[in-house]
Amino acid sequence: MTRIEPLQANFDLKVLNKKQLKQVREATLYVLENVGVRFPSDRALDIFQEHGAMVDKDSQIVRLPAEFVLTAMGKAPRSFTLFGRAPDTELLVGGGHSYFATDGCGVETIDFETGDRRLSCKDDVAKMALVADYLSSIAFFWPMVSAQDYGRLAPLHELDAAYNNLVKHVQTETVMGEDLARYAVEIAQVIAGDDDLREKPALSSLICTIAPLCQDKEGIEAAMVFAEAGIPVGFMGMPTMGSTAPAVPGGALTIGNAEAVSAMVLMQLIAPGTPVFQSLLVSGMDPQSAEYLVTLPEKYLCNVAAVQMAHDWGVPALGGTFGLNHAEPATWQLGRDSVYTALMCALAGTDITIGLGMLDASTLLVPEQIIFDDEIYHNHRILARGLDTEMEGIAVDIIENVGPGGHFLSHKHTRSHLRDIWIPELTHPRMEPEDNQNGDIRKRARDKFNQILAEHEPTPLEEAARHEIDTILRNAEADLGR
Amino acid sequence: MSEEMYAKLTQAVIEGEPEDAELLAKQALEQGLDPLTCVNEGLTKGIQKVGELFASGEYFLPELIIGAEAMKKALAVLEPAMVGDQSREVVGKVVIGTVEGDMHEIGKTLVGTMLIANGFQVYDIGVDKSAAEFVAAVNENDADIVGASALLTTTMLQQKKLIEALEEANLRGKVKVMVGGAPVTNSFATEVGADGYAEDAISAVDLAFRLIDAPA
Repeated sequence: MTRIEPLQANFDLKVLNKKQLKQVREATLYVLENVGVRFPSDRALDIFQEHGAMVDKDSQIVRLPAEFVLTAMGKAPRSFTLFGRAPDTELLVGGGHSYFATDGCGVETIDFETGDRRLSCKDDVAKMALVADYLSSIAFFWPMVSAQDYGRLAPLHELDAAYNNLVKHVQTETVMGEDLARYAVEIAQVIAGDDDLREKPALSSLICTIAPLCQDKEGIEAAMVFAEAGIPVGFMGMPTMGSTAPAVPGGALTIGNAEAVSAMVLMQLIAPGTPVFQSLLVSGMDPQSAEYLVTLPEKYLCNVAAVQMAHDWGVPALGGTFGLNHAEPATWQLGRDSVYTALMCALAGTDITIGLGMLDASTLLVPEQIIFDDEIYHNHRILARGLDTEMEGIAVDIIENVGPGGHFLSHKHTRSHLRDIWIPELTHPRMEPEDNQNGDIRKRARDKFNQILAEHEPTPLEEAARHEIDTILRNAEADLGR
Repeated sequence: MSEEMYAKLTQAVIEGEPEDAELLAKQALEQGLDPLTCVNEGLTKGIQKVGELFASGEYFLPELIIGAEAMKKALAVLEPAMVGDQSREVVGKVVIGTVEGDMHEIGKTLVGTMLIANGFQVYDIGVDKSAAEFVAAVNENDADIVGASALLTTTMLQQKKLIEALEEANLRGKVKVMVGGAPVTNSFATEVGADGYAEDAISAVDLAFRLIDAPA
């Protein structure tokens, strides 16, 4: 059965106080007005110019006065709906829940059968979509690995694999460039049926900016196509302290903020009211090898600050969690870091959050990892919920009824509430199968993964829709080649 | 008509509704149904199902215990109405309690409940019971097994006293002794001369079947 159990935080974790938030906002506005952001797209530059921004066509740098930024951002909605193709899969983003998704987009897979490390392919996306459809931690789906067997059409085939195996909302993080984006919109329109994509956005998109202070040509041009079609678009800044950003968290946040905001402003110029969202993933580098480091306390603080900053602009925040620099599932390090990323983001009120199921800095798909992350997610979901101190949650009448020295085991209140206490399944399985009497936790996770893969049957895409998507893929191949 | 009543009794036990079970038992007698058949065709089937659901991980302890409570409530109505040499078929008779000086109740209650769910007749004598009280209960109920619970390192030696008291009363030959509780171990059980030790309520049932040499 397809289910979604979203996280709802009853806490309000903040790392920036009002004054600090204002400092970062002012720094960002200063950078946008005085330093600018490079938009390597003639179309984007023309649009900025038409609307009166300061555009230097030679350097492709756009500078935006504070008033310009604030007026445009004022048009972005604080909440919007993401459409899934089954009842109960619609997500009201910005409505107080935190919806989690898979991680992406990896390039290697630990083979489902042989366990060998190999290049990723479309079938991996399909299998993971099916498992994600089942897991209640997953509210929407990022195609987890690249469909490398389809060349430059990989992003479209990732969507095909996703829609065919999952009824939940799909967000692409790989569709880049105008051409691919147009075909992606066509595919999304098949899922939305006769309805306007604005009403039923069956697809959303996440585009990465390039630090420092640049947009990616293909990324921003895809984003413009999406905005025109009414597809929600998010922008993720990924500044690295010391290399692509100053070696201070505040500077990295400011750079990422300026990149994302400049792109969101462009979306509002193209189609005022376009749903947009913001994400900032600050990282560090190894000071000698320059290796990408994400397991840093500063990064975790920045995750929370980024949520605050998105909300300060009046748009939803996307949190990036899990998917850290680990080569092995089920390590103590993974447990530690998931708390700092996923739990801290959740407690800060992130609206959508990606990251379940990948290792090696989101490049390696390890099948059973999503089962570990699912369990950690549910831990966090309960933690974020807080405690119930209402009448039923204290049950003083039951305490009175049992009295000193008795027990609560035979009480009907216990019977009806004991099941509310969530018990981690991997560490406390109800039954241990014959072939795992020594309780190997990785085997437990793998068994569960295999069982879902073998038994779960997502509601299939209608025959006509499948056919239409096949036609779109064929047209794309004839048009663009592989 | 009678089939319907048996099914309702079964259901009251499965769903853990002690009040309903008691009421149904009274109605059954009013309708002139045979109390022993009510037990065998109604309550026993219910408690067996509860045991199965528990074993398969679907039921938790509260469902198990409330199911047993429902059975007890109905039995309290039906058993006194049995005539002549009628009595329900039981796997074995067990006297169970917590030893002297120890007020812990839950462990032995769980073991007792699991035994009931598996067809044993259980006489739960309560907590803080002296060796003499255990011996009296064994005599009175013609028990096959006595189960003694101790949760404190300071009270576990009472289990040894109980075994000595059973020897003095010449009962040791006919009654098996099982011991349990958080500080109790297998080696302690051997040391004090008990017939068996079980770590939890589920293995206690297996142990009880083994001790009386009955198929589980």
